[in-house]
Amino acid sequence: MGEKMQAVDISKLGLAQLTQLKQQLDQEIELFSSSLQQLRAAHGKFQDSKECVEKLTPDTKGKEILVPLTGSMYVLGHFSDVDKVLCDVGTGYYVEKDISAASDYFKRKNKFVGDQITKVQKLAQDKVTLREIVIETMEAKLQATLAAQQAAGTS
Amino acid sequence: MAAYEGLQKRLSQELEKYKLLQKDFQKTYSLRQQLEGQLNENNIVKEEMDLLEPSADVYKLMGPVLVKQDLEEAQQNVAKRIEYITNELKRHDSTLAELEKKQDAQREAINKIQQQFQQAQVKAAMKA
Repeated sequence: MGEKMQAVDISKLGLAQLTQLKQQLDQEIELFSSSLQQLRAAHGKFQDSKECVEKLTPDTKGKEILVPLTGSMYVLGHFSDVDKVLCDVGTGYYVEKDISAASDYFKRKNKFVGDQITKVQKLAQDKVTLREIVIETMEAKLQATLAAQQAAGTS
Repeated sequence: MAAYEGLQKRLSQELEKYKLLQKDFQKTYSLRQQLEGQLNENNIVKEEMDLLEPSADVYKLMGPVLVKQDLEEAQQNVAKRIEYITNELKRHDSTLAELEKKQDAQREAINKIQQQFQQAQVKAAMKA
């Protein structure tokens, strides 16, 4: 959406506007935290794949492996080709890569996701700080209104 | 008093319309977000494919099987998909702009009725 970035003094906003702002911030923070969760999961997957591919040395050739045919059934297999793996590059495409290229690929992906995590974390932190400021301002406003009401009541 | 009730009826009608517009907007917006995600994913795949040697083997997951594909064919497919999604994004953007305009107009209409309503109230109060 075309968000108009505009410097607005929070202390000049009314209580209703502040409430709206806080709600918006709450939503954004929630979005960021769920994004972070997803990113961390992706990071973990790439990390696992990288470690796994690095364990696939020429020595592995001919060794036994249990291959899952379904979630609850395995067959015995032997490694016949330990030089190449298929990597998921997204949208259903898999690319054949040799071990070093695959390890490189996962390293690259890990760095990419890691950078995104840092970015989102910073954004989320900024939003949390802003939210705190908004809440403080709201409380101050409420206090001021209450005080004004009391003053009007006693006079 | 009849004018009063008429206004109230109109107000609730217009509000209903406004809510519908808002719903449409939300729906289109979330569709747009989905498209943007797909575009991102496809762009990443494209980048990855551009890094490959021309002789590299590429497989496409179709249901539960992997089907071998030429790198060139796969690249063309991804490029086509990116083009399609970009066009869809543009289409959704214009729909969103249109809906936003309609929303603004509707808001204005509601404001007008509310003002009339208030005026009617003031008049009624003066008479009383």
